[in-house]
Order: sequence, then structure tokens, then C-alpha cells
Amino acid sequence: MLAILRPEGWNFALFLHVLGATLVTGATAAAFATALASRRWPWLRRVLSRTLLLAVFPAWLLMRLAGQWIESKENIPGDPGWLGVGFLVGDGGLVLLIIAMILGAVSVRRPERRWPVGAVAVITGVYLVALVVAMVAMTGKPGS
Amino acid sequence: MDRYHWLLVFHMAGVFLVLGGAMFAGIFNLAALRRERPSEIVVLFNLTRIAVISVMVGMTLTIVFGLWLVADLDFVEWSDAWVITAVILWFVANALGSNGGRRDRRARELAERLAAEGDQPSPELRASLRDPVSLAMSWGSGLVVIVILVLMIWKPGH
Repeated sequence: MLAILRPEGWNFALFLHVLGATLVTGATAAAFATALASRRWPWLRRVLSRTLLLAVFPAWLLMRLAGQWIESKENIPGDPGWLGVGFLVGDGGLVLLIIAMILGAVSVRRPERRWPVGAVAVITGVYLVALVVAMVAMTGKPGS
Repeated sequence: MDRYHWLLVFHMAGVFLVLGGAMFAGIFNLAALRRERPSEIVVLFNLTRIAVISVMVGMTLTIVFGLWLVADLDFVEWSDAWVITAVILWFVANALGSNGGRRDRRARELAERLAAEGDQPSPELRASLRDPVSLAMSWGSGLVVIVILVLMIWKPGH
């Protein structure tokens, strides 16, 4: 029951954007859970590193590129707050994900260090909350 | 926000929990296929339980708030083909997911037993993890949910 009134030509871009957003949220949640669990089971650090690189990042790319595509079609007047939240979480998320991917790789190569995986847990936890906020803002469009 | 947008937020929260949960489960499912030690496979199965809860809550939210939206919106009818098809596929996805989950539970129980009995790699566990019927049902359930998402966006016949 998504976005009930919209031109037919936007459907594919919206589908890819929603699919990407759901997948990046699930993959970020998986990375967060793996980062927490890897403090007890260090072999999970390799799973964490792969999850960030092969699941979270590709899903983020799908969400962000499809979001840009639909935004270019929609030509939204003004600068609504819900759209600003979407851009902030999308673009700010890239910075967080790059840092998390680097720290994830460091945690595999330097297994004696515990702080990188702790930092990844914090980053992915913060990003997960941000993704939920963006979902609520972009679906509910408060103030519009 | 008006009522339509609140209903949509809860409906979408369900979509995120289902597809996000499916992604979550898929990641640990693939990781389990790459491991040999039963104790490590048990850890991955235990992490997958979070996804199972996410999918169950999400499926409930999608159907409850989806049907509420149909009842609430003037331009969507109960008789619309895409609404009926989506509800049927919702039941299909549930049936596939729960059957796949039951077979996964048997694999987890085997991994737990092997972990307690010396934690050595086992061909039986490897075969159980790669059971094509189980994999087809679990991944098929996710695909059916994606088809429902397609119906929700395109609304064929509307």
C-alpha cells in the first residue's frame, strides 16, 4: 500500500529504493548483532567484515541511487524536512559505513585489538536508529 | 500526520521488519554454509533467531495495517485483484517460511548435539545445512515477499 497516488513511471525507482532501504536496514542490524556477538566469539569478526562489505554497502548503494533517481523524477517543491532527513541519513550513512568497513577490516587483521569491533558496534547501532527515523520521516512525511 | 500516514508508517515498519529480517537471516544462513564446526554453526543459528522474531512481528504488522488501509481508503476495494493476490501470497510466504524454519530447527538441534559430543565437523550436518528443500522454502519465502512488494507498488489492474 505504498504511495498510493503517483505516476506509473516512478514505480521501478520507488521499488528499488524501498527494497534497498529494507535490505540496508536488515544488513545493518545483522552487522550490529555480529559486532556485539564477536566480543565473545572473535571468529565472527570475519563474518562482520564481509557483511559490511558485501551486504550493507551494496544495499546502501541501491537505496541511495534509486532514491536520487526518484527524487529527480518527482521534482519536489520547496525543501521539506522529511526529504532532508532522508538525504542526511543517506549521505551521512556513507561516511559511517566507510569508517565501519575500515574498522571491520582492522578487527580481522589485528585480532589482539578489541576497540575496532566495539566501535563498529556503536557505529552500526547509531546508523540502525537513523535508518528507522528516516523510514518514519519518509513514509509519514510529517509537516507536508 | 493524518491517519493515512500513521497507518502507512506501521504498515511500512512491518515491511522493513520482514524484508530486513529476511536479509538478516540470509546473511547468517550463508555464513553457516561456510563453517564446519558445529559450535560455530550453533552461534549463527542463535543469531538467526532474532530475524525469525523480526519476520513474525513484521508479517503481523503488514497484514493488520494493510487490511486497515484497504478498509480506510476510498479508492482501494476489497475486490481489487492486486489486494486479493497480495493476501494469498502473504499466506504462501508464511507457509514457506514456517516450513523452512522447521527444517532449519532440526539442523540447529543436530548442530547442538554434535557440539556437545566433541564439536567435530560432520557430513550429516553439512548435508542438513545444504538441504535443497529447506533452502528453497526459506529463500522462496523471501522471494514471495518481494513479489508482494511489487504488487503493492505497481497495483496491477488499479
